[in-house]
Amino acid sequence: MSNRFTPPDPGEPSIVRFPSLQKAALDSGLQVWSIPHTALPVATVALAVPFGSRHDPQDQPGLAGVVADMFDEGAGDRDAIGLAAAFASLGTEISVDIGPDVTTLSLTVLSRCFEPAVELLFDIVARPRFEESDFLRVVEMRLNRLRQLRSSASAIADRALLRGVFGAHPYGHSTFGTTAALEGFSLDDVRACHGRVVTPVGSTCIVAGDVEAGLVQEVVARQARRWSAVASHVAAPAPVVPVDQPPKLWLVHRPGSPQTEVRVGHLGPSRHVDAYHALVTLNAVLGGQFTSRINLNLREARGLTYGAHTGFDFRVAGGAFSCDTAVQADATPLAVREILAEFAAVGGARPAEGDELARAKSSLTRGYVRHFETPAHLAHAAVRLATFGLPEDTFARYVPGVEAVTAADVSAAAVRHVRPSDATIVLVGDGSTWRDALDEFGRTIEEIEDVDPAGGTGE
Amino acid sequence: MIPFTKRTLANGLDVIVHQDRHQPLVAVNLWYHVGSKNERPGRTGLAHLFEHLMFKGAEHQPRGFFEPLQEAGGSLNGSTSADRTNYWAVVPAGAAELALWMEADRMGWLLPALTGERFETEREVVLNERRQSYENRPYGLAYFALSEAIYPVDHPYHWPTIGYPTDLRATTVEDARAFFSAYYHPGNASLAIAGDIDVEMAFGMAERLFGDIPEGPPVAPVSAAPAAAVARRLMLEDRVELPRLYLLWPSPPLFGDDDAALDVAADIMANGRTSRLYRTLIHDRRRAAELGAAQGSRELGSLFQVVATAAPDVPLEALRQAVMAEIARLATDGPTVEELERSRVQAESAFMSRLQTLGGFGGKADQLNAYNVYMGSPAYFRDDLERYLQLTPVDVRDAVARWLDPSLATTLSVVPTGRVALALPDSGAATFTV
Repeated sequence: MSNRFTPPDPGEPSIVRFPSLQKAALDSGLQVWSIPHTALPVATVALAVPFGSRHDPQDQPGLAGVVADMFDEGAGDRDAIGLAAAFASLGTEISVDIGPDVTTLSLTVLSRCFEPAVELLFDIVARPRFEESDFLRVVEMRLNRLRQLRSSASAIADRALLRGVFGAHPYGHSTFGTTAALEGFSLDDVRACHGRVVTPVGSTCIVAGDVEAGLVQEVVARQARRWSAVASHVAAPAPVVPVDQPPKLWLVHRPGSPQTEVRVGHLGPSRHVDAYHALVTLNAVLGGQFTSRINLNLREARGLTYGAHTGFDFRVAGGAFSCDTAVQADATPLAVREILAEFAAVGGARPAEGDELARAKSSLTRGYVRHFETPAHLAHAAVRLATFGLPEDTFARYVPGVEAVTAADVSAAAVRHVRPSDATIVLVGDGSTWRDALDEFGRTIEEIEDVDPAGGTGE
Repeated sequence: MIPFTKRTLANGLDVIVHQDRHQPLVAVNLWYHVGSKNERPGRTGLAHLFEHLMFKGAEHQPRGFFEPLQEAGGSLNGSTSADRTNYWAVVPAGAAELALWMEADRMGWLLPALTGERFETEREVVLNERRQSYENRPYGLAYFALSEAIYPVDHPYHWPTIGYPTDLRATTVEDARAFFSAYYHPGNASLAIAGDIDVEMAFGMAERLFGDIPEGPPVAPVSAAPAAAVARRLMLEDRVELPRLYLLWPSPPLFGDDDAALDVAADIMANGRTSRLYRTLIHDRRRAAELGAAQGSRELGSLFQVVATAAPDVPLEALRQAVMAEIARLATDGPTVEELERSRVQAESAFMSRLQTLGGFGGKADQLNAYNVYMGSPAYFRDDLERYLQLTPVDVRDAVARWLDPSLATTLSVVPTGRVALALPDSGAATFTV
């Protein structure tokens, strides 16, 4: 009983063993990866197609999102509802997730239903129906969604930050694009975009779960035969790297808001940055977890918010670093001041070192094993390898990589990649009581409407 | 389908252990059978505020609750509902004892560390949670209005779990202490340990760490008369772009007769592309922008709800009529054989997918505790699945006919501020506490 009131030590770290990937390639260019995981008779299938909102034509923001939405609107012999019913009869449903760089179609299914599910999946990419009525519905649903987002303070803030940080670069808009652009799309635009970007060349089909590797290759090869590369397909040009934008202070005035949505951020590096492990560690210190500095400051010490976070949004051609929070209205200037001060301190007066750094590293290295529990975890981890073209030993190198990070590494990363004077500030809330206090931040205060002002369908 | 061993310690703590060695992880999950339904008017929000206080650190946790577990590689959280409060951590297997020790210390020794200062700050955090999750979110107040209308003022589901700001501000640290003493003890708790751990070792740790915590006073079960189905039409103006219609009926409690049948009826009616209303309201005619239905199961009685957001310029009355027509059809003809077969396959698949994660909200440890707290046995997992597999079309038809009387619906129209004409005809402004 002598140690009754002394916490036990956390024990030996669990060793992370990412299962080995079995890789093959089909003649069409499609990569096929299988990852064994046999805890349950289920499998996750993820098809990563390298197109996203970054591939929207300059004057058509949101087009790739419509293409992605058309995936499950009917394929081969099935209309939209027939396709959903076919997945449902296998006990699953298809999820289509479009991001800035990659679109992922995924499903989790009982192993015994693996082949019919894969058959449907390749119907979707190889035999789209592109019915006019489905297209009209998809566009209308997206317009409605955009309209709904105009009443969401957090969504307004998120989209304004993208615009502020990336400017006119394709990363500067969300996958929804703009109301004005959406209203101008035709089904021919969708067909053309689909023909350009939805191709097996550069795509990866990942199967994680209780299906034997040989069977994965055999089934995917059989079902993917229908999906061939378009003869005229040319490799996409290297993505344009976004450039720094002047820091702004954007205020979206929403009278009566009880809180202010706050975003503070600037351009960040791509996933290929050399200092990746140092940046992950830096983020854990600054705002990546509950016990990080900014949350301890704004929530735990002051009670101004339900939570405050920071993150590096790593993308293929660049990225962003930002802090997001929602604070009670009267604390708006204080919160911005504290966020900027924390940004400055970690690269200056209060570097991450000693126990604090050790704790952050420990939480990352010891906790890494939690991220590979299910077939879906494994499949989506592999999607990241495919998205960024990362080497297979990426997961194996994570723990030693973070362990090797020094205080000097974090400081150097902070100085270079967390830059308060370059940060754009977005505030969505009732500015009437605190607008005048924003002068201290040395930026021109611009009152803006939503970055997606109402289009022609509004009343 | 989740093998387990359950033992009850001398102080009344239920301990459930499930071994799964596929990953070097252990999930620790602790339920206290207390929620906002145990509160009294004037102190609403206390159960949830108290959940927050549990993370501030107990007597022997000078570094707080989060830090030691995050440093050990753990992930952790908690949540409060009307019926229960749960706490969980998922840790690398080596840290299982640490996670259990942390839970035990706050079950036995929270109060010495609960200072007025911690309490005051956390109250502000909760008020900000309320602003972020409800007040400043489109449609965020809808369920506040509905609960107050459907449940009488003394019914424990009348008030929202997050609480009223006035009550939160009036609550004192002494209220919190009394709440802890009444509800946070072994006899009112259920502990599940799941994952890469030897079964006897897990029981040994539980006995050693929790065994000397006093049992605590018995907790009387909360009871309340079921809410009556009453026709009423409410209207709420909000900062929204598109009007939305809520249709609700009181329905049977969690795991009660017709609970599973209504769950399936909700899917057949309005969830996903294979649902009837998706076809009529979205696919064919594009009248709705969003659509969903749920049997919102709770211990003392549930609410069945259909929610539809109108596409621009579509009157809510058109949505109401479409929903009522579908309910009438289901109540007369029942589901088709195909619909029921699909729901059976989906149930099997859903229960299988619930076996994939050890911990966290809805993981295996959480489910073992849910079945243990609500039904007295973690083995109810299998019975729960059977409830769905045994359903016949007649069961679903009769449940819809019994509970969803189109003439006795509570409706709420949420309309853009200043556009009250967009509400269903004859709707009165909802009155509720903000």
